[in-house]
Amino acid sequence: MAVDLEVVVVAVTKMTSQTEQAVAEHQLTHETSKASLTMLLASAGCALLAGLPNQAQASELDNWDFDAATLIYAESDSRVTAAEPVISATRNFDSETKLNLKLALDTLTGASPSGATPSDQAQTFARPSGRGDYDIKAGEQPLDDTFRDSRAAFSATWSAPINRDWAYSAGGYLSSEHDYRSLGVNGSISRYLNEKNTTITLGGSFSSDSIDPEGGLPIGLSAMAVPGSANFDQDFSNSRQGSSDDKTITDFLVGVTQVINRRTLMQFNYSISASDGYLTDPYKIVSVIDDSSGDNYGGNYQVNGQNLYIYEKRPDTRLKQALYWQTKYQRENSDIIDFSYRFMFDDWGINSHTLDLKYRWQLGDHYLEPQLRWYSQSAADFYQRYTTASDYQNVDEISADYRLGDMDTYTVGLRYGYRMAGGSELYARLALYQQQSSGSSGFGKLKEQALYPDTTATMLTVGYKF
Amino acid sequence: MQQDNLHGFSESKRLLSIAKMNNPSGHPMPELSFLAADQSSAGFLLQFQAMASTCELLIDLPESHWALAEQLALQAVRETWRIEFKFSRYRTGNWHDKVHQKRGHWQNLDEESARLIAFADQAWQLSDGLFDITSGILRKVWRFDGSDRLPEPEQVATLLPHIGRQKIQWSLPEDDGVNSKPAQLYLPEGMELDFGGVGKEYAVDRVLGLSLSLLQKAQPDVACSLLVNFGGDIACSGPRANGEPWKVGIEAPDREGKEAALLSLTGGALATSGDSQRYLLKEGKRYSHLLNPKTGWPIENAVRSITVAAPTCSQGGLISSLALLQGAGAENLLKQTGLKYWLLSA
Repeated sequence: MAVDLEVVVVAVTKMTSQTEQAVAEHQLTHETSKASLTMLLASAGCALLAGLPNQAQASELDNWDFDAATLIYAESDSRVTAAEPVISATRNFDSETKLNLKLALDTLTGASPSGATPSDQAQTFARPSGRGDYDIKAGEQPLDDTFRDSRAAFSATWSAPINRDWAYSAGGYLSSEHDYRSLGVNGSISRYLNEKNTTITLGGSFSSDSIDPEGGLPIGLSAMAVPGSANFDQDFSNSRQGSSDDKTITDFLVGVTQVINRRTLMQFNYSISASDGYLTDPYKIVSVIDDSSGDNYGGNYQVNGQNLYIYEKRPDTRLKQALYWQTKYQRENSDIIDFSYRFMFDDWGINSHTLDLKYRWQLGDHYLEPQLRWYSQSAADFYQRYTTASDYQNVDEISADYRLGDMDTYTVGLRYGYRMAGGSELYARLALYQQQSSGSSGFGKLKEQALYPDTTATMLTVGYKF
Repeated sequence: MQQDNLHGFSESKRLLSIAKMNNPSGHPMPELSFLAADQSSAGFLLQFQAMASTCELLIDLPESHWALAEQLALQAVRETWRIEFKFSRYRTGNWHDKVHQKRGHWQNLDEESARLIAFADQAWQLSDGLFDITSGILRKVWRFDGSDRLPEPEQVATLLPHIGRQKIQWSLPEDDGVNSKPAQLYLPEGMELDFGGVGKEYAVDRVLGLSLSLLQKAQPDVACSLLVNFGGDIACSGPRANGEPWKVGIEAPDREGKEAALLSLTGGALATSGDSQRYLLKEGKRYSHLLNPKTGWPIENAVRSITVAAPTCSQGGLISSLALLQGAGAENLLKQTGLKYWLLSA
């Protein structure tokens, strides 16, 4: 959601000969209403000069801040690789009024899991477009290698104060790829209280997305046409229901940012997000497994001598709610500890927890920031790694998309930054990501297949702020 | 008017004339010169005396702009002398004097005084009471002349009841659109306000600000860049007109006149707080001129001098003073601000 609060680094104060404990108590009882040193500096300095300029009128370029970065993402086994250059440009009108423009382009290539299970037999799948097919060897993960996409996203956000106590932001968002388009608006309003030590923000966004998948929209739960069969064209067209569909996403957020003391800043958010419309992934399928006793127990269920796969189908509404808590603490040596926890739950039955810990280690003009992140998710009610011959006609909704299953992910990252003379900053971040899924291990022959392969990925970001 | 001076570059100099009413402290007349060491770094230099310092304004304009340079110079001098006189503790009939005549009564404050008091007040809060505009009274018993003459503890103790920002009361101006009420101050008998810690930096910012406002109105046909330097408290409008940084020397406190470091400044301000020559030395112990308003005695383990780079000179001065008052904790505070600083330890 685009209205996440900007978290100001808490900056800070002084040394006294008092003990840590005394300092902490003192700050909590007497100084909670005081702004941090840098914030205070800025406000006190401005107030003293009562609006008199302190620098020459900046040239137009000096009013802009740029952040250009490229992210490279590579999954192991060369499954998916992505490159995403992003450029963000901010035009500062004064210290609180700004326009941010952001352009991101990403290119994804590689193969993604189709949802089907691996098998002791080779499998052949129709391509989503209906033109051609691809083969998966026995024992290998069914990956759809037609996965290739380019996306361009553009957003603009205007933020400005209304008066001393209120501020607002308004923005728009547009992203486009060959089969997907998203158009959104967002806005927020903030109220400062308690000498700006408390900020309450109400935000909302609305996006309208349309999906126009290759080969048209599959009918959920219908059988995938068998490549090479005599009536493929007829079957393929029977499995389609028009060419495009859409969905809307409405988000609301209420957040409180609180300066706890001059070293500590906390933020609490509650957000609710309602999606309505076509929420299914048109490229995902589900294997139907033979559960009748015999040689093929646990193998792919066959109809007319051909494996049966059905298209996934998800509910057409989703209501997500999330609670978020972040704490930033600046140590006396200026290092910053940033901890956050997010709990998300939705009416699909997914609960997730995210813990994120960053430590920014200041080394003069350089900094190092190690990061640890753990994410754990429980499966959606309709998630099934596969369905069975006796069940598949009774399901109303089903998806074998691993992103809806039980999973844990771990991220270990290290960011390095170098602040150069003149205020520009060069930074690089390397992160290693591992995803582990789990679930029922099947029966019969299916037991021998790896149904929940781990995914590991490497992410490298290099950026320059100027 | 054109003459060659001994250094070999062409220089022309004008003595500016300031009306007596604008020179209440009776300073010598300021000098405005055009210096042309070489083509690319030519510019005007204004020099005058105020606040016990040599004050300079460097104006990056070509020689054809004498009139504008003179306008800027006159404004700078008048403003500096105005601030100096208004807040001086040593004058009679000025603002400072009048405020102290009315001790023991509520009195109205003009906006500028209220802003300065508010600024000093924030420093007082941030420093846990170490930065206190009522502590100047301690000068009655402390004279930092390099000698070993420490005051008697009883002398210091008798002054303490008259020190403490919490003992004065004041209110911000109020204006709800219908009624307005000016800022007000209640200064108890026996207490004294001292703007020595903020006045010079404030004047530097005011001179730069007024000069920039004047330039915005005058819209000269060439780029103009400015640097204000009041005895080491410095603010500039940006890089020099030729795009180069300003080169500024900061002084080592124990080697007066010798530049300890040459800094490049392309924007913002530098302010220095330090005890330079002002200290007492007794039985091998050095007593810094920085006094703790709570005890009346010098801050222990004070560093010698701190220079801070900040957006404005007042902000730099505030941070360098706050840091200095932390004694051995100075560097820690400086690090936390994220500002560039230069520190000379004792």
